[in-house]
Amino acid sequence: MRFKIFFFLFFSILTSTAKQIEVCNSCNIKTITEAIKISVAGDTILVKKGVYKEQNIIIDKSISLIGEKGAIIDGENEGGILIFETDNFTIKGIKIINVGLSYTIDYAAIRVVKAENFIIEDCILEGVFFGILIEKSKRGIIRNNKISSDRKNEASSGNGIHIWSGSEMEIYNNELFGLRDGLYFEFVKKSKIYKNVSHDNIRYGLHFMFSNHNIYHHNEFRNNGAGVAVMFSKFITMYNNTFKLNWGSASYGLLLKEIYDAEIYNNLFEENTIGINGEGCTRINYTNNTFLRNGWAVKIAGACYANIFEKNDFMHNSLDLAYNSKVNDNKFENNYWSEYTGYDLNNDGIGDIPYRPVKLFSYIVNKTPEALVLLRSLFVDIINFSEKVSPVFTPDNLMDKNPIMKRIND
Amino acid sequence: MKINYLKPIIGIFVLLFVISCKVEPQPIEYGKDQCSFCKMNIVDKTHAAQYVTNKGKQFKFDSIECMINDLSNKNEGDMAMLLVANYGKPGEMIAAKTATYLISKKIKSPMGANLSAFSSKSKAEEFKQQYGGENYTWITLKQKLSDK
Repeated sequence: MRFKIFFFLFFSILTSTAKQIEVCNSCNIKTITEAIKISVAGDTILVKKGVYKEQNIIIDKSISLIGEKGAIIDGENEGGILIFETDNFTIKGIKIINVGLSYTIDYAAIRVVKAENFIIEDCILEGVFFGILIEKSKRGIIRNNKISSDRKNEASSGNGIHIWSGSEMEIYNNELFGLRDGLYFEFVKKSKIYKNVSHDNIRYGLHFMFSNHNIYHHNEFRNNGAGVAVMFSKFITMYNNTFKLNWGSASYGLLLKEIYDAEIYNNLFEENTIGINGEGCTRINYTNNTFLRNGWAVKIAGACYANIFEKNDFMHNSLDLAYNSKVNDNKFENNYWSEYTGYDLNNDGIGDIPYRPVKLFSYIVNKTPEALVLLRSLFVDIINFSEKVSPVFTPDNLMDKNPIMKRIND
Repeated sequence: MKINYLKPIIGIFVLLFVISCKVEPQPIEYGKDQCSFCKMNIVDKTHAAQYVTNKGKQFKFDSIECMINDLSNKNEGDMAMLLVANYGKPGEMIAAKTATYLISKKIKSPMGANLSAFSSKSKAEEFKQQYGGENYTWITLKQKLSDK
């Protein structure tokens, strides 16, 4: 009982000091800019239903900006819209449309500069150049937003959520489409990305650049230029994600370039041109992933060392593995290969003869991509068979000595 | 009836003949083409680069630094054309050897070198005044990037 009284008093003090400012077309305060001018830290600005044609609104006080259903800020394609230069703010339920386009200035619907402890939630951003652009900030939460753009044919579109230099960010339940990159992390540390859906973007669903110690899981990346690109980053954990339908000559489910010490597990790679393309990646553990009906399941280019592929399902891919080096420093163990034609006489669930995932044909395709038209022809079957019988091109230790007979994730 | 089959085939051969031997830059298809060096999709009209070899083979890059990194393993004499995107005029490609370059922290480029190219020295100077940084020529730029 005492507690209740205490809380009642506490909240009544809180509400009496912080005031709520209403903005609408028939109120005393008609624009958001005006409301921000008269507000003090701790206030709430309630934006009522209506269209507000405003740009470059600078917010430098710790306030909450809450939108009623139907509150729309229209940037009229002229520039950036909200710019937060403060700590401890909240923005919720606002719809922002028509952000200006520029080749040299990064206009954003919501731009955050040098902030800590903020929340951006339930916003709808449409026709944006950059959606949410965050610079040099910490401990922000971005959730339940829907960010989209329709500048499909113009490659000069911006990114959905772009974080440049930040740490401890949490990004979840967002939907991003029609942008350049759905999410872009540049110099970001210790952040989490989960339960987002990023689809139909021109470049990547998610893109890491020079960002270490990050985790992303339970996301869906569908029909992007490439699902996810992780570049020049260390200690990235990726699990329970879906990468699918990234089709096209330059398309990948997951593109890895110069990355070290990553964990990749429980992911689904379905119908991508290349499931995983790795170049210069070292000490990466691939466990329990499913590769389903990809062109190439895994393509490993030069300088990939000490990677371990364990207990993965390789299901009906045109080519399971492409490898362009003579030396093999990677380990394949206990995977399921749908192409495996061996037998299991002692019934221990492990095939009695090793499986060689690299086919001679995949070497030929590596050298001359045009040879791909021969796929599924009798000629290719014959050369693959000959390589199976007496391997000449595959590094002799590149094989799964103990392939398993049954699917893992059935 | 026979002629009907032949026509498209002749057409294809003529087309192949015409398109296969030209030493000319193909326009970059932004959002579709891929960087030959780092495998990223090329989307940035202000930082793209490309070269064409003497044999007419096309190489396209998402950033100027990628092209320079790629050239460090190759012979520059084999290249018929070296082109970089003009930062002042997005979408336009200019000759790499005569361009003036600017490395400025305020102008970010796709692969982190903060490098942009300009058609003239005065234009580069103008952007340098505005954003800060350092100007380079093709020769000094290659030295700068290989020093790292």
